[in-house]
Amino acid sequence: MGTENPGRPSFPARTAATPFAAAPPQNVMPFSSSGPLVGSEASGFRPTPPAAPQPTVPFSSSGPLAGSQSSGFRLPPPPRYNDPSVPPPASNVPPTGGPFQRFPTPPFPSTVQAPTSRVPPVGQPIAQTPAPPVSFRPQPQIPPVPMGAPPQSVNSAPPNVNVPYSVSDSSFPAPMTNFQSSFPGYARMQSNADLQPPPMQSPFPSHQGGYAPAPPTSSTPFLSHQGGYVPPPPVAAPLGLQSRDQMQYPGSGAPGSIQGLIEDFSSLSIGSVPGSIDPGVDPKALPRPLEGDVEPKLFSEMYPMNCNPRFLRLTTSGIPNSQSLASRWHLPLGAVVCPLAEAPDGEEVPVVNFVSTGIIRCRRCRTYVNPYVTFTDAGRKWRCNICSLLNDVPGDYFAHLDATGKRIDLDQRPELTKGSVEFVAPTEYMMRPPMPPVYFFLIDVSVSAVRSGMIEVVAQTIRSCLDELPGYPRTQIGFATFDSAIHFYNMKSSLTQPQMMVVSDLDDIFVPLPDDLLVNLSESRSVVETFLDSLPSMFQDNVNVESAFGPALKAAFMVMSQLGGKLLIFQNTLPSLGVGRLKLRGDDLRVYGTDKEHMLRIPEDQFYKQMAAELTKYQIAVNVYAFSDKYTDIASLGTLAKYTGGQVCYYPGFQSAIHGEKLRHELARDLTRETAWESVMRIRCGKGVRFTSYHGNFMLRSTDLMALPAVDCDKAYAMQLTLEETLLTTQTVYFQVALLYTASCGERRIRVHTAAAPVVADLGEMYRQADVGAVVSVFSRLAIEKTLSSKLEDARNSVQLRIVKSLKEYRNLYAVQHRLGGRIIFPESLKFLPLYGLALCRSTPLRGGYADAPLDERCSAGYTMMTLPVKKLLKLLYPSLIRLDEYFLKASAQVDDFKILEKRLPLAAENLDSRGLYLYDDGFRFNIWFGRALSPDVAMNLLGADFAAELSKVTLSERENEMSRKLMRILKKSRESDPSYYHLCHLVRQGEQPREGFLLLSNLVEDQMGGANGYVDWILQIHRQVQQNP
Amino acid sequence: MVKLTLIARVTDGLPLAEGLDDSRDLKDAEFYKQQVKALFKNLSRGQNEASRMSIETGPYIFHYIIEGRVCYLTMCDRAYPKKLAFQYLEDLKNEFERVNGAQIETAARPYAFIKFDTFIQKTKKLYQDTRTQRNIAKLNDELYEVHQIMTRNVQEVLGVGEKLDQVSEMSSRLTSESRIYADKARDLNRQALIRKWAPVAIVFGVVFLLFWVKTKIW
Repeated sequence: MGTENPGRPSFPARTAATPFAAAPPQNVMPFSSSGPLVGSEASGFRPTPPAAPQPTVPFSSSGPLAGSQSSGFRLPPPPRYNDPSVPPPASNVPPTGGPFQRFPTPPFPSTVQAPTSRVPPVGQPIAQTPAPPVSFRPQPQIPPVPMGAPPQSVNSAPPNVNVPYSVSDSSFPAPMTNFQSSFPGYARMQSNADLQPPPMQSPFPSHQGGYAPAPPTSSTPFLSHQGGYVPPPPVAAPLGLQSRDQMQYPGSGAPGSIQGLIEDFSSLSIGSVPGSIDPGVDPKALPRPLEGDVEPKLFSEMYPMNCNPRFLRLTTSGIPNSQSLASRWHLPLGAVVCPLAEAPDGEEVPVVNFVSTGIIRCRRCRTYVNPYVTFTDAGRKWRCNICSLLNDVPGDYFAHLDATGKRIDLDQRPELTKGSVEFVAPTEYMMRPPMPPVYFFLIDVSVSAVRSGMIEVVAQTIRSCLDELPGYPRTQIGFATFDSAIHFYNMKSSLTQPQMMVVSDLDDIFVPLPDDLLVNLSESRSVVETFLDSLPSMFQDNVNVESAFGPALKAAFMVMSQLGGKLLIFQNTLPSLGVGRLKLRGDDLRVYGTDKEHMLRIPEDQFYKQMAAELTKYQIAVNVYAFSDKYTDIASLGTLAKYTGGQVCYYPGFQSAIHGEKLRHELARDLTRETAWESVMRIRCGKGVRFTSYHGNFMLRSTDLMALPAVDCDKAYAMQLTLEETLLTTQTVYFQVALLYTASCGERRIRVHTAAAPVVADLGEMYRQADVGAVVSVFSRLAIEKTLSSKLEDARNSVQLRIVKSLKEYRNLYAVQHRLGGRIIFPESLKFLPLYGLALCRSTPLRGGYADAPLDERCSAGYTMMTLPVKKLLKLLYPSLIRLDEYFLKASAQVDDFKILEKRLPLAAENLDSRGLYLYDDGFRFNIWFGRALSPDVAMNLLGADFAAELSKVTLSERENEMSRKLMRILKKSRESDPSYYHLCHLVRQGEQPREGFLLLSNLVEDQMGGANGYVDWILQIHRQVQQNP
Repeated sequence: MVKLTLIARVTDGLPLAEGLDDSRDLKDAEFYKQQVKALFKNLSRGQNEASRMSIETGPYIFHYIIEGRVCYLTMCDRAYPKKLAFQYLEDLKNEFERVNGAQIETAARPYAFIKFDTFIQKTKKLYQDTRTQRNIAKLNDELYEVHQIMTRNVQEVLGVGEKLDQVSEMSSRLTSESRIYADKARDLNRQALIRKWAPVAIVFGVVFLLFWVKTKIW
């Protein structure tokens, strides 16, 4: 045993050395460092480089355990079992020296070879033979636990199936098979074990070390291998299996019993020879997300103190422990954050006010105190979970520890028990006093706006929302309108009626009044109401066709720059005067398919980007409402929203009669939802990992500080991680999202979400813990960003390529061992990934070419999808399709009224029965499809007398019969379940072209349509590519 | 003309309310706000300042009143009548005490009464123009006496704190130095003692040794 040590040091030494060599605490910038909003607290903070206890002994041949423990930054030594495959080239190149001769080849060089030498399912006694029994002799003696033979064998078998005894009494062959499949690491390791004489035992402890603390006393490596599950109850096999789960996730329940193991991956039989045309796929058997989005359960069960997944979702909860592992995970590695997600009643985020002590944060990395910090030294110190620095506990915050090391006041400290809390920010977190909520409306009054009826709807909606604007009594409000000139309105409270001031000098914009353009709503209420009442009629006869949008925007900026706030732009005519005028450029068919194609999707004029930067600086968020029936260059206008944390709402060809309700609802929601103002957001994470790219609507103020002038519950942000160090030495990575904002009531607060995720050492585990919703969210943001720099085709191909790569990698893990030649296999957790990938390629921003979606719609959908939270995005990608007529004809059973909403159908035309009535719901609209052979009764009941008329002219309204009431109830219920957007209802009859085509058929993502693949073809195509050798 | 308005608790310098968009056409508003904060800090250290005071700073002048452990401060042009400024502060004080009087002591977060800014805003507008009938009447009103209110310079005021700091620092340095001096003196004393008596002791020692040797041998 002694002789193996010289061979090992290169690994532990590396693990110990790298963190110190390159360990800049990545979240060096404290929250406050860069915003005008945040205070001087930054100055107090100086990143002290971590002291490296043994930086000078990296390659010395001291004992491996000592070497890896030297870090002092983590509690147990977490060596990695797959070091050999991972370490930087240096350790992989075998020098001729003695120590390395034990690794004749880099031990786990490729996953492909490994399984070959690996012994397939237990129960085949032949498996024993290749193992040199000597090498494993020590093992049976070592497990010190008094347990019966069978469980022992089950537990310890996987790593060494070849050892005779493990098979001899394997009374539970089936679970073991699954066990192995779930644990590819073992497979590869084992092949290695075959090659290696005793020294290779050392990888075993390191493997286990990744999950469970190795007992410090263990001198023999194998003991530490057992360490993870030393205390399993010596009962029957299933329990033994559960204990396996525990050993992976200390503290978790026992989520995966046999069931979980069996489901570890799914396979799809593809009967045909790959490459042949005959589709051997059973379309019915393909996986479909008919239950909608499922939040990953396992993750929150493992770490019960994590914040709810509605706030933070990781693309995989298993963080790879090495860069090489991360590079084999071809999917995005990152997180989707929705900091203000609406919490159901009873789960509100608790508010904590540290009056006397100030907010408790780590001195070095500025992490906020959270449930994962540990208190030591009888409660006088606390250890930061992110950078492991020992901090002093302020006197007023001190509490004694009980016998288990927990603070005795734990039940009164939500910040130490809950993953999400809000801290009341003290003065240091404000550069200026909290500003009131400000709403400034910039309304286009050119002739097309007047004709569309937009102004009327907007004025009515604003008026009806005046009572519900947040922040009473401080709320400020202001208006300006523009056509070829800019009109300001003096709404001083002493006036009885607003005064209009016209500025027609567009070259040199000035604000005609110093104040009173932005007034306190509660004081000037009557003037504001008078204004809104008269606004529609004021411009009734306007025939001006110009739009001085750019100058108007500048003027609005000047009015708002003191206070910041929200700027709502209602825009109808392509900007034609002054700065920021735009050209008609969207209807050029020939550009598509060329290298210049993407230029259409990025802003034409730098003015908009510069303006957006200025607006963000002054804490102004822009929401763009566009209404034109012609081209309005959403690509340029949307930039304003993109960089100021706003949103784009596009109502193509707005007609108040049709879209009025939708605008009313969405504007009202925009005005009345709880909004966080003047905010900045930062996400911190543990040593060795770093967030490097961010995707969504915001402005990056420093490398990792997102400036968000306004945030609300409907906005989500995606970000991607990279590993900074070759090897992660910790067992857990912690993430902390902190959003510093001003609430509408004038309180400055910090909302903190904390989550922990285990570090895993093998790829199979990463797949097992993947969260398809988050993966798809990040994916779609990346794809949309890609459309801004390259062709649509390329963006689609990149989506497909990444899916193929990841499935190929997964296949390499498992395919050979399970002889799945003709089958496509994918992890259970990602079974919907191919379908969502397909749906993404066919979504509005990415689909087809010139003819498939108007440019403006494409851009606005792109801007919208960049902000959507996971749930809504998945709904949009794979909408629900529900058959209604059967339900109508059934006798009314009030109880299961809404059960029907859960019975979703696959999105394929073959599921549309011409005798049926279907509801298609993508979260933004309803399409109700009337089959050609639908019984006239139903149609008559729902539509009244004009049921036979052209459906585009018919609107749905409640009628005096049970059926119609039922339908309305269902629609209402659907709308209520998802209030962030209004579902506009379209009626369409089978065969009614072209409406049926663009409303419904093109959205049935499983069907072949134009040049796009259907689901079956897509799967086959992916499968073929997966099978191709690289 | 009123430029800035701030209300803070004297006991700990916690800001309670502030007039908004005051600094619209004020270039270095930040600088003056810092001064105000320093001033509040000074006050919270319990230096017994007059309850009414004017402090000159650059082209402006701070006026403040302290009442009920709350400090109401405003910054005006130098030309702005002192009388009006103090009237303005009195108005603020009356309203603030009426509305928030009970909660002042328990306020835990900064700007807890930020809603008061609407009143500040309104009142400020009344005092904006010195030549309105109302303000002229106020100016002529002899009831409110402002003559005895002290006017000092901001450097002086902020300097007081600094000087006090210096004094306390110096005195603490003095204590520690004198302690060192005492130690050193004791040490030297002992050394002197040794130097004085050591030769004598050695001589005696030698003599006794000789005696002892002598008695032992013979």
